[in-house]
Amino acid sequence: MSALDISARAGRKAFAAAEQAWSRLWFQERPTTPLELVRIGIGAALLLHYLSASSYLLEFWGDGGLLPRALALPHLDPWMQSVFFYFTAPWQWIAFDALFLFCCAAFTVGWRTDWVKWIVLIGQVSFAYRNDFLIYGVDKILAALLLILCLAPVGRAISLDRVRAVRRAKRARLDAVLPRYSGRWAGACTRLMQIQMAVLFFYSGTTKLQGQEWWNGDALWLVFSSEEYYNGLLLDLFARAYWLVNIATYGTVLIELAYPFLIWQRATRPYLLAAAILLHVQFAVFMGLFYFSFVMTMGHLSFVRIEWLRRLGAAWKRAIGDMEMIYDGKCGFCVRSMVWFLAFDGLQQIRVRDFRKNPSPVVSDAQMEKALYLVLPDGRALPGFEAYRYAVLRVPGLWWQIPLFYVPVFSRLLGHPIYNWVAGNRGWLSSILLRRRRS
Amino acid sequence: MMAKLWRQRLTYLAMSVFVVWQTLAMVVAPAPGSSDLAKGLRTVLDPYLHFLRLDNQWNFFAPDVGEEGRDPLGIVLRYVIEDDAATLHRFDPGAGLNWWHPSSIWFRAWYLALLDSPDDFGVQFAALFCREHAALHPVTITLYAAEQKDYGPLDRLRGKQPLDAEFVKVTTVKSFPCPP
Repeated sequence: MSALDISARAGRKAFAAAEQAWSRLWFQERPTTPLELVRIGIGAALLLHYLSASSYLLEFWGDGGLLPRALALPHLDPWMQSVFFYFTAPWQWIAFDALFLFCCAAFTVGWRTDWVKWIVLIGQVSFAYRNDFLIYGVDKILAALLLILCLAPVGRAISLDRVRAVRRAKRARLDAVLPRYSGRWAGACTRLMQIQMAVLFFYSGTTKLQGQEWWNGDALWLVFSSEEYYNGLLLDLFARAYWLVNIATYGTVLIELAYPFLIWQRATRPYLLAAAILLHVQFAVFMGLFYFSFVMTMGHLSFVRIEWLRRLGAAWKRAIGDMEMIYDGKCGFCVRSMVWFLAFDGLQQIRVRDFRKNPSPVVSDAQMEKALYLVLPDGRALPGFEAYRYAVLRVPGLWWQIPLFYVPVFSRLLGHPIYNWVAGNRGWLSSILLRRRRS
Repeated sequence: MMAKLWRQRLTYLAMSVFVVWQTLAMVVAPAPGSSDLAKGLRTVLDPYLHFLRLDNQWNFFAPDVGEEGRDPLGIVLRYVIEDDAATLHRFDPGAGLNWWHPSSIWFRAWYLALLDSPDDFGVQFAALFCREHAALHPVTITLYAAEQKDYGPLDRLRGKQPLDAEFVKVTTVKSFPCPP
């Protein structure tokens, strides 16, 4: 073998090893679940934040408000764009705000996520550039995280998009199980968000090292004695035990500097994650930076390992136990309702049984003619409304229905008659559904 | 078959190029721009960073937290309205803000912008404040900057407050006539 062949083979080997390492770093197959948690948190935070901004829309971001367009534009370069620069009448601001808020809500619940996420990003950037004087840390981190969420294939889990996909599969076969989404691009986007959080902490920590107050250990005293973050109780405590100020100041810098280096290791990640989240909880509680702290915490969730979430899901399933829902497979309306219900059961906690094909040893056919039943782990069987009520509290995907099923007195007072009416008229309701589908 | 293989390779290449680009943008944006390398990279990255609002310095409360005159943390806006009977009415707009509402942060940010550039924003603010106090029949409004000075633990133990007169240096910013 010639020297050229040997070196070519070695080169190929080195290239293959580098490609493998590159793929392992960036393009591992991963589900989107951590990013979905970030999506839900950030969407909800944006929705609440901009809902409360709506009453100030024209005052802060309108042309007739505190910053007329002519004063805003000189601060920006041509790349800094906002849709508000192109509006001329107040109704256009209001219409865009309504669309933006709607998209924030849709982004949170994961409805049509593939396109609403872009409108959320456009809205966030537009608000920021229309009045650059109002933005602070949270707007900056939001823009960075939102861009990554827009690039990522979010909406594939813990979302209404997922519910719709599961529903489609279950309409063909009720016991169909849609495989969980995972992809290499989801892995890359998770990694990008992790790097974003690490870079943020790195710069935040290193710039603090340039400040005398941080070296002296006095920084937190200055923060809490400033008019903006004044906290009388803490100042009283700190004045009596000033060493606490030193510890808190150095602790903050230590966490910010350790985070970008130790968050990657399997052994140290849980501790750094806990420390960073604790730091932000303190910012929220003591400094009133709720929005900022919440959004930062959401960013940290990109470091949550998928195994942790799986273990959590499995522990929840074990704690709740096995549930079996028995339904009438001949009743089209009942099957359709079951499809809706089970589409929200992301952890697949509920098994189903069609009593027409597979009679239950626990519930008689005569009972089943009257209502649907849920068989609990202890062998008890709950009928109709009580079955739904039991499941709603124990299936995380159905928690949004808790307010309907658990209003004291009223839920049962109205729930039972409504369920009984539906169950009693299910043949008629099924025929209506069938007619509608045919037409 | 070959077309599919090439498509996969190209997709992989495009994804790789993008993650490198985005990582570069995330790292370069907050970096000090004094070196030639940083300046060169900024030239390429700036349009991207600006268009997506990614040009951020992650310097929360740093390097200085509340150093006088260098950081807006310790500067408070105050104003005095003179009514048509030449009576003066003093106001501290920050004191009335609702801590729980995000508008408190926006108004504070605005007050700082006003103190930084009274010539640019003064007219709008004068109109706003004069409108708010229309019942006083305001004639002129004068803006003041109250800068917080050193306030230590011993001051706290003596029962003093950070905004007591001895810890605040008040300077006149500008006066504006109230719009009729």
